[in-house]
Amino acid sequence: MLIELEELTKTYGAVTALAGLSVALPGGAMGLLGPNGAGKTTMIRSLLGLIRIDSGRGRVLGMDIERQALEIRQAVGFVPEDECLFPGVTGVQFVAYAGELVGMPSRDALRRSHEMLDYVGLGEARYRRVESYSTGMKQRLKIAAGIVHDPKLLILDEPTNGMDPAGREEILALCRDLAGAKGMNLLISSHLLPDVEAVCEYVVVLGRGRLLAQGRIADLKRPHDGEFELRVRGDQEAFARILADRGVKADPVDDRLRIALPAGEGVASLWEAAEDSSEQIRMLRPRRSTLEEVFLNAVGGAG
Amino acid sequence: MPILDQGYQHWDGKLAGHAFRWLAITRQGVKAQFKNRWLVSTLVGALAPALLLAGFLILWGLFEQQATVLEPFLFLFQGLPDEVRHGPKGFRTTFWTLAFTLFFRVQTFFAFVLVMLVGPDLISQDLRFNALPLYLSRPLRRVDYFLGKLGVIATFLLGIMLIPAILAYLIGLAFSMDPAVLPQTWRVLAASAAYGAILAASTGLLMLALSSLSRNSRFVTAIWVGLWMLGGAAADASRRTPAREWAPLASYPADLASVRDALFDYDAQWDRLADVFRKGREAMQDAAGFGGRPRRPRIFGIPFGPPPPRDGLGPPEPPSPPGLTNADPARPPWPWAAGVLAGLGVASAVVLSTRVRSLDRLK
Repeated sequence: MLIELEELTKTYGAVTALAGLSVALPGGAMGLLGPNGAGKTTMIRSLLGLIRIDSGRGRVLGMDIERQALEIRQAVGFVPEDECLFPGVTGVQFVAYAGELVGMPSRDALRRSHEMLDYVGLGEARYRRVESYSTGMKQRLKIAAGIVHDPKLLILDEPTNGMDPAGREEILALCRDLAGAKGMNLLISSHLLPDVEAVCEYVVVLGRGRLLAQGRIADLKRPHDGEFELRVRGDQEAFARILADRGVKADPVDDRLRIALPAGEGVASLWEAAEDSSEQIRMLRPRRSTLEEVFLNAVGGAG
Repeated sequence: MPILDQGYQHWDGKLAGHAFRWLAITRQGVKAQFKNRWLVSTLVGALAPALLLAGFLILWGLFEQQATVLEPFLFLFQGLPDEVRHGPKGFRTTFWTLAFTLFFRVQTFFAFVLVMLVGPDLISQDLRFNALPLYLSRPLRRVDYFLGKLGVIATFLLGIMLIPAILAYLIGLAFSMDPAVLPQTWRVLAASAAYGAILAASTGLLMLALSSLSRNSRFVTAIWVGLWMLGGAAADASRRTPAREWAPLASYPADLASVRDALFDYDAQWDRLADVFRKGREAMQDAAGFGGRPRRPRIFGIPFGPPPPRDGLGPPEPPSPPGLTNADPARPPWPWAAGVLAGLGVASAVVLSTRVRSLDRLK
């Protein structure tokens, strides 16, 4: 396992940030979901050995989070959520400095800095002072600084926060490329479900410092027995009324109908209804949960 | 024609250990400071006292050997008492001590200016641009961060104080042509190293603490200047009170001076020289039979010290070598000044620890 946490507990005074959290993450692109105050940031800080945990234990890349914190931070890249900069430097100096701080030789750090700025699309702005960068550029700069030493694991805390749609898509594309084409393990903390779904294959849902759900997104979005999504060529609502007359529940959702068959009925009844009403079925598939439903069910169940 | 887009490449280099990670911060900080023209000018200006010190040690070495090359310049030594002129080696420790003390007195002023130019941005700008999460989420401890920032100040201070002092000492050794010089003057070298380290650590810690108090480096500069000036003013004001003996403790530069003089054993060397000059003056007055007005003592042809009384009957006063005074009002024993400096250091460390928090307590 890439990350293993066992019964991790962390309190801040009367507030329990992590309450016996146990998680095992296999690697790849992993999403960390949870409402505000769920413990996502505390979990990330625990993984990096930045906070002293009250009890429990954990390992990241096989290293103990309490005893090998510096080694973990050397092997892991971290992109913090807040807007933070090394002041008074150009883009290329910023990334090179970040590399030197993890122990890279100066020459290698400078060379990698140029490569990383090209990779994240900041090649043209490399000699501009970082204070003049836009929000999106600063975010890409932080990613370049996070990957300059080629970490085995990159942790991104709310990487698309406060970004416009185009900038957000660029960041997600970068993350997809890093995880997919470059083989880097990613842990993305976000409260934006589409972002996590766009990049990750594995997800962890936290709530009130506890694990609410975890697993492969494809598995969590399970098919529902007797429920289908259906689209017809003609009037959706008219066909929904026809199905209702036959005892089939059909609710219009976007450009299709969400069908719930009565117990014991099969899809044949849908085809019969279409034939009887001279309607053409253009799409028929089993309904699967969306990630939003998975998230709401998990959080709602915990509540 | 093929388009070669290398994109992201893996890196398989070796990462350094953690012991000297703070050096990366120091290196970056020093590099960044050289963009400041005022700083470069100050560094160049700070070379002048070092050149003068080296020049003095060369002249003294030649004087000790009565070198013929010095003959055209012997008039410079005419003002020295006979005891010194006839046996300069016996006064080597004294003159070296006074020369190095004067050098460090001047360099302390340059140190004040350098710290003022280098220090205010060091932490205040990191706070302003929220750089701490970037530092502390990397394999750095807070102590590494502080060491790295302190290293920036220490590099410049040691560059204008300790390194020139060591080089001047080596030049002095070379021109003395005497193996006895090392056992006679080792204290000068040791005191130079100790004072340089104390000054760098004390001013560095103090400036870092001040820098952590504000996100605006101009405020930090103002506080630093105020600390030096107001401390002196407060000390002067306190001299009119019954506790005047303790007044110098209120002045940060005076505390540094007290520790410096103790390290160099300045007072004892000064007393020795004053004694020699007093005897020399008395001899002059005896030779003149009080019939004429005796000349003022001279070093390198420059008269110094108070003019002799017109009637020639007043009590003889020991002269003051140029730039040095023995007229310091009573001051508390140097351990008290060292205690004040240590206290300031502890207070600075507490301020730093409070203002620069770990990510455990950062938002």
